[in-house]
Amino acid sequence: MVFFKRTRRPARTRTKNQQEQNSTAQQKAPEQQNSINRLLSSSIEVNLKTLRNIFKNCSDVVTREFIFAQKEQIKLALIYTDGMVDKNLVGEQIMKTLALEVPMATEGSEITRANAFNFIKTRGLCTQQVKESSSLDEILNAVLYGDTVLLVDGHATALINSSKGWPTRAIEDSKTEIVVRGPRESFVETLRVNTAMIRRRIITPDLKVESMVLGEVTGTHIAVLYIKGIVNEKLVQEVKKRLSRIKIDGILESGYIEELIRDEPFSVFPTINHTDRPDRVAANLLEGRVAVIVDGTPVALTMPFFFIESIQSPDDYYENYFFTAAVRLLRLASLVIALTLPSLYVAIVSFHQEMLPTPLLLSIAAQREAVPFPVFAEALFMEIAFEIIRESGIRLPRPVGQAVSIVAALIIGQAAVEAGLVAGATIIVVALTAMASFTTYYSGSITFRLLRFPLMFLAASLGLFGLISGVILIVVHMASIRSFGVPYLDPVAPVVTEDLKDSLVRAPWWAMRKRPHLIAQNNTMREAAGMEPEPPRPQS
Amino acid sequence: MIKKIIGLCLAICLALPLGGCWSRKELNELTIVLAAGVDRAPGGNILLTVQIARPKSFSGGTKKSSGFQENNIWVISQTGETVMDAARYLETKVSRKLYWSHAVILVFGEQLAAQGLRQAINFFSRSPEFRETTWVFVARGKASDVINSHSQLESTSAQSVGNMARSGAGFPVKLKDLSMMLASYGTNPVLPRIELTPSGNPQGPGMQENIPEADGDNQKATQTHAEVTVTGTGVFKDDKLAGWLNLMETRGLLWLRNKMEQGEITINSLKDPGKHISVRVTGAKTKVEPFYDGNNVWFDVKIKMEGDLLEQQSSEKLTESKNYREIEQRVAKEIEQKTRNALDKAQHTYGVDIFSFGQAFHRKYKKDWPAMRNRWNEIFSEAGVSIQVEAKISKTGLTTNRLSIKK
Repeated sequence: MVFFKRTRRPARTRTKNQQEQNSTAQQKAPEQQNSINRLLSSSIEVNLKTLRNIFKNCSDVVTREFIFAQKEQIKLALIYTDGMVDKNLVGEQIMKTLALEVPMATEGSEITRANAFNFIKTRGLCTQQVKESSSLDEILNAVLYGDTVLLVDGHATALINSSKGWPTRAIEDSKTEIVVRGPRESFVETLRVNTAMIRRRIITPDLKVESMVLGEVTGTHIAVLYIKGIVNEKLVQEVKKRLSRIKIDGILESGYIEELIRDEPFSVFPTINHTDRPDRVAANLLEGRVAVIVDGTPVALTMPFFFIESIQSPDDYYENYFFTAAVRLLRLASLVIALTLPSLYVAIVSFHQEMLPTPLLLSIAAQREAVPFPVFAEALFMEIAFEIIRESGIRLPRPVGQAVSIVAALIIGQAAVEAGLVAGATIIVVALTAMASFTTYYSGSITFRLLRFPLMFLAASLGLFGLISGVILIVVHMASIRSFGVPYLDPVAPVVTEDLKDSLVRAPWWAMRKRPHLIAQNNTMREAAGMEPEPPRPQS
Repeated sequence: MIKKIIGLCLAICLALPLGGCWSRKELNELTIVLAAGVDRAPGGNILLTVQIARPKSFSGGTKKSSGFQENNIWVISQTGETVMDAARYLETKVSRKLYWSHAVILVFGEQLAAQGLRQAINFFSRSPEFRETTWVFVARGKASDVINSHSQLESTSAQSVGNMARSGAGFPVKLKDLSMMLASYGTNPVLPRIELTPSGNPQGPGMQENIPEADGDNQKATQTHAEVTVTGTGVFKDDKLAGWLNLMETRGLLWLRNKMEQGEITINSLKDPGKHISVRVTGAKTKVEPFYDGNNVWFDVKIKMEGDLLEQQSSEKLTESKNYREIEQRVAKEIEQKTRNALDKAQHTYGVDIFSFGQAFHRKYKKDWPAMRNRWNEIFSEAGVSIQVEAKISKTGLTTNRLSIKK
């Protein structure tokens, strides 16, 4: 199966921080590439020629040759990618030391061609991480991912200096998941910064950050995070197994991975959660979930995902729990409104007028008197108009934003009603639906945004019967799917009584003693008993 | 999988239009009937009068035109051999489909009621569109006159009458209650009576009605504003109007039917002749127990009433328990008097059981009932009824004694 033409780098999955896997990967490499010699030669000229050949027309890869001189003139070469390295580090800590300081400062000891490599490795480099490698592939990957490779003449091993330092965006407020109370920061595009944000919250060696490289052309680095001891090992195995199946040319966003490893690929419902909030990821890890962070995107994936999480927000866990219960009920109601209100309106106004109280019916009838369309056409027209406004609101360039919103508000809010094209009641229904769809988690709400339209068709052709059938179909579908082996509607269907304490309501923290049962199967105890605050007892 | 999904989508796309928006009825294509009236028309026909809402003039919200008050309703009549026949003919005049589900009231004319309700009621209880919770009335005179009226407070007179019935004016009867009363041997139907009475001076033009004097065709038209008013109760013998109860007797009916929920009782004062005390009824319970010894039928009626004393024209001291007891006894006496009046009228003037005493009898003497039910009205007319009233006044409002009494 040739799905793209690759020339140099072998397809492989590399786990960086585990040395065993590293060596197995290296063993595999020669098997895959037997035509070219994939190990370094001891002659720097040969090596440089090979590398130059490989990096031909890569104007950003810099090769810097210089002489490491005391008595013997030893030729050294630095190879790095311009823009991906910390230029100060390369200049000050590597070049300056090697070219000037070390030869001058070590007058007592003789540097020969034979001991030069060891000398440089032990005494000559001022970088934090140095690694030896003689594998050409490893060197290539290092160069391309911001490390600086040092070749020493006469040695078939290169020194890989960690010198990553590319410009990154500053950490900012979360743009998609806003909370009132709680941490503000959100992920950025750099993997290491993101893992650091998690690590800062979960300070334990049990937080495992396994690296993988996916995307055979892009070579995107991703990290699989979990907390050993809490997570179900089978879940980690399953996630890694699904990730290792991926053979694709490139991964530019976590959405690629989400679609490649998710359950129910044909469902409109998300079975993997995504978030740009480190605190949400940390909370998910503590519940025994697995997170996947992809380099180059501020959106992390967590799995498994329950539908009930759609109505949960990070600050639910920080705010008063009575308030949380009320807000979650409100979000559930909003979810129902976002899904069914327009179709309910269509069904009642065009089929079941007897369901309305007489004064309300008269009021709606009065508004609809001048409207020349059937109510379905009217509602559909307004829903589409709103979707257009919403979409243009996302895409439009900032400077013209105000103009567009004014026009939209005027057209929809006033002109359409005054012209008698649309009834006021329809506007209210559409506006309420639109606002309701924003109260819930975004990926959940886009599903309902989508499903609203088929339901409207059903309601317009079969009335309430159609609407109810549609809703039943949706619920049946939701009850039938799973996310990484966990039923999607857990803990509501099937009922997991213990987990209901964090579903529509949230128990206070001193009562949430256990983690979700179906995720953290082996280690569900979260906290000690009897932590409920109480007034001090009189000492007897 | 993709094939399956596409197949499913296609199937749905093909199946949905099969219904073809079956039974879909756009709101703009409906005529919302708010009130229906049935009268007797010459030639054994039926005159159907409907009050139709004109949605245009209901424009809710801001743009209510000042000045001339637009008519909210359109009243139109049509004769036909049956109600449905008339309704069908109506559709030749009305551009939209008649929609009955929101009919608030159903009114029968006096003449038609006297000849029997059954000839007119069937359509309304059979049609799935018509609600069983519609309030049913009998009009003094013609139903069409009542329907053709305005309300100063509500947008339509139908809603005005409906609200009155809902708040318990007179003896409100729903279509369901009427059907059940008609179907039962143990009781006879009653319907609240409505008519137009002069009601204040209208503030704008276009709000004048003809108040018919219920005098056959020799009606004297009175050009003044008139509201539909509940003025008593129509008593039926089976489905035929037998006579009326006035408002006072209607209260007796409410007591005996255990339907008294709120009301007022006025008695003479203890001390000062010509002055009165009024008590508001807050709770009432009536128990009817029939007795039958093989020959005679008699009933024990026990009424328990609780109320608040809210008006006292006289000046007796309520702090004295003797006075208090005396007032309670007088209230009890007054209630007994009222129920007795209604009972006398039903037993002796009209000779019909309108108090569901027959149903109570049926519950207790199941075996004897089949033999008696066909002549129940006669048995009821001769039955003795003992009425015991227990009245309790629990509160006296914000003050106990009159504030104006000088010490």
